[in-house]
Amino acid sequence: MTSLPQPAKGATKLGLVIDLDTCVGCHACVVNCKEWNASGHSAPMTDQDPYGSKPDGVWFNRVHSYEAGTGTQSRTVNFPRSCLHCETPACVTVCPTGASYKRAEDGIVLVNADACIGCKLCSWACPYGAREYDSDAGVMKKCTLRIDRIYNQTLPKHDRTPACVSTCPFRRPGRPGQRGVAAGGRAWRVRPDAGDGLRAHQQIPAAAPAHRIVAAAAAAPGRNRRRGGGRAAARLGGPGFVAVKQEKTLLFSGKRALFSLD
Amino acid sequence: MALGFPRGPEDLMVAADGTPLRLDKAFSWEAPLGLHGMMHTVLANAHAGDPYKIDVLFMYMANMAWNSSMNPGEATRMMTEKDPATGEYRIPHIIYSDAFFSETVAFADLILPDTTYLERWDCISLLDRPIGSAHGPADAIRQPILAPDRDVRPFQDVLIELGTRLKLPGFVAADGSRVYADYKEYIWKHERKPGTGPLAGFRGADGAGDGVGAPNPGQLDAYVANGCFWRYDLPHEQGYFKHANKAYLENAVRLGMVGTADQIVLQLYSEPLAKFRLAAQGHGPVQPPDRLRARTARFADPLPIWYPPFEEEMEGAAAYPLHADTQRPAAMYHSWHSQNAWLRQIHGQNSLFIHRATAEGLGLADDDWAWVISRNGRARVQVRLMEGVNPGTVWTWNAIGKRSGAWNLADDAAESRVGFLLNHVLSEFLPPDDTGKRLNADPMTGQAAWYDARVRIEKAAPDEASETVPYPAALRRPKGMAAAPSILRYNASKAPTP
Repeated sequence: MTSLPQPAKGATKLGLVIDLDTCVGCHACVVNCKEWNASGHSAPMTDQDPYGSKPDGVWFNRVHSYEAGTGTQSRTVNFPRSCLHCETPACVTVCPTGASYKRAEDGIVLVNADACIGCKLCSWACPYGAREYDSDAGVMKKCTLRIDRIYNQTLPKHDRTPACVSTCPFRRPGRPGQRGVAAGGRAWRVRPDAGDGLRAHQQIPAAAPAHRIVAAAAAAPGRNRRRGGGRAAARLGGPGFVAVKQEKTLLFSGKRALFSLD
Repeated sequence: MALGFPRGPEDLMVAADGTPLRLDKAFSWEAPLGLHGMMHTVLANAHAGDPYKIDVLFMYMANMAWNSSMNPGEATRMMTEKDPATGEYRIPHIIYSDAFFSETVAFADLILPDTTYLERWDCISLLDRPIGSAHGPADAIRQPILAPDRDVRPFQDVLIELGTRLKLPGFVAADGSRVYADYKEYIWKHERKPGTGPLAGFRGADGAGDGVGAPNPGQLDAYVANGCFWRYDLPHEQGYFKHANKAYLENAVRLGMVGTADQIVLQLYSEPLAKFRLAAQGHGPVQPPDRLRARTARFADPLPIWYPPFEEEMEGAAAYPLHADTQRPAAMYHSWHSQNAWLRQIHGQNSLFIHRATAEGLGLADDDWAWVISRNGRARVQVRLMEGVNPGTVWTWNAIGKRSGAWNLADDAAESRVGFLLNHVLSEFLPPDDTGKRLNADPMTGQAAWYDARVRIEKAAPDEASETVPYPAALRRPKGMAAAPSILRYNASKAPTP
């Protein structure tokens, strides 16, 4: 199966931070992602039976809307779900051909379509359902963190963001040294000694009710440090935020689906 | 300055005897402040010949045979009914322009195929609903990025052409020659008053004018060079208390946004409404018809008032204990044609959402079928239970349901088989009372009372758990329209080759 790279000392690790408290489930990130990728390296984003009774297409980002809690404590949770670019991605280690791989220089998980045999082991291995099989092309596709734009030096720095980030109506203003700013969320650079957990993904205020802690995949609190910015490290697990490791059980148990692209 | 805002009875669009001049009766005593127009009354009024008979009904971007009507079954009946005395349709001719095969296309005598937004010039004007914000005025254009591959024409070009051929004022010069070649020229050349036109940026001969200035033939080029928009950032001291900010108001006059720099007095006591009430009490030369006198006196209250929605005050209201309303899914906003191959994968069918306790009291579980019943009719729908809704309110997504066969979808598409419109249990009218025919609308603004609907829910019988009702017959694909593709591979050629 496929080995994970040994990250170079000081290498950047990229991830995406999404604030579930500000996401309203508008799907702008979902559509903008599909539009960008339908015009680029991952094209086509094939749609089967697009005008029929069972349309089924390739999407790198899907929003799942759940309801949790009862009575006045109930909340609607909109959960944008794209690839987490995990620290130890099961989709890579399970790949028999090396088609799925994790980049040493920035941690982005990609698929080399030329080497993919369409066996779908990675989609079985991914705990989030973030893999997208294009049955027409016979290859697996996935979120690239818009790698074909975030390194484009001809663009102003604030435009070098993933499609989901750039279109989010609730994204927060960027700060120097930040890679991207998103759904109320941010793409962070994380130090390579961040620990063995999954990549930091969801930014959750400490005061949030427990049911909002959905898919908070994070490394050990206090060890993730944002690079750049020239200030003392802002910690994902620092003041005002908690990081939670129990992402799988929290994500898929005790929630009632309301409406989802699935 | 305020476009179309009546200041009193003297501004109404009525004949000397009070008869409405507009087919929809906006700006009449039926709806004195009908600023949005009253699309929901047009079909019924045309069908009834009230306030007058018409020969041609010409519609654009309003899917009146389906989700834009408060009662699509009635709307389609009125569009197809013939007068037995003459054998002619009660609405003799219908012209409709649409870029898509919407439900209304099937009811038109003449269809004018429109372009999409990608194939024409448009402006998002300060005179309509611009992209400006509290930080300053801004407007924008669209430019064509695709050449149409079929026989279509931008609807605005069609209107310019019609205005020119009919020699309407403003479209032809004194010598009878045409003023505008097309809509693109209209955008930069038209002046609503000297110096003010559809676009506020890059005005004047040198293109340096903000807000006002002579028409600039290079204006659209300047917009394109500037990313297709114009924005004027207000100085910080002009960003607050604008109604009484001298610097802001003087700048607003310079930009052509207001007529004078006088402080704008915010009225808690509405002088225009008081004038309508005084007229209803017999004062002044412009008087309401007697049947609307008491109503006008009651609702033209110059101070804010609350009263129960009309439906809740009607006899028998207790039989419909639940409120019913709808909302547009965020993903579908600004999707003019309501769905496409991508969006229909996000919202391809809708359910009626009911509070858990309310639903359980009715013996309903997730995905059960139920009847939504109002004083106007019944619809059979699938239900979902949720906590986050008032126990006395049910709701669903708006305009997800499609008529079978429309939009070039498969006849058994989820949008028509399971998806539904709450519109089927609504009506544009309330039952008549001693004032005659009553609109289901706000009595002053004419705003359709979409959210006043009252319903009750009954569980459907086991043998009724199949598809939604009403389920009108599938529309046939128009001649010349190709079948929808079975797979989409946009930009497949760009994918890396093995």
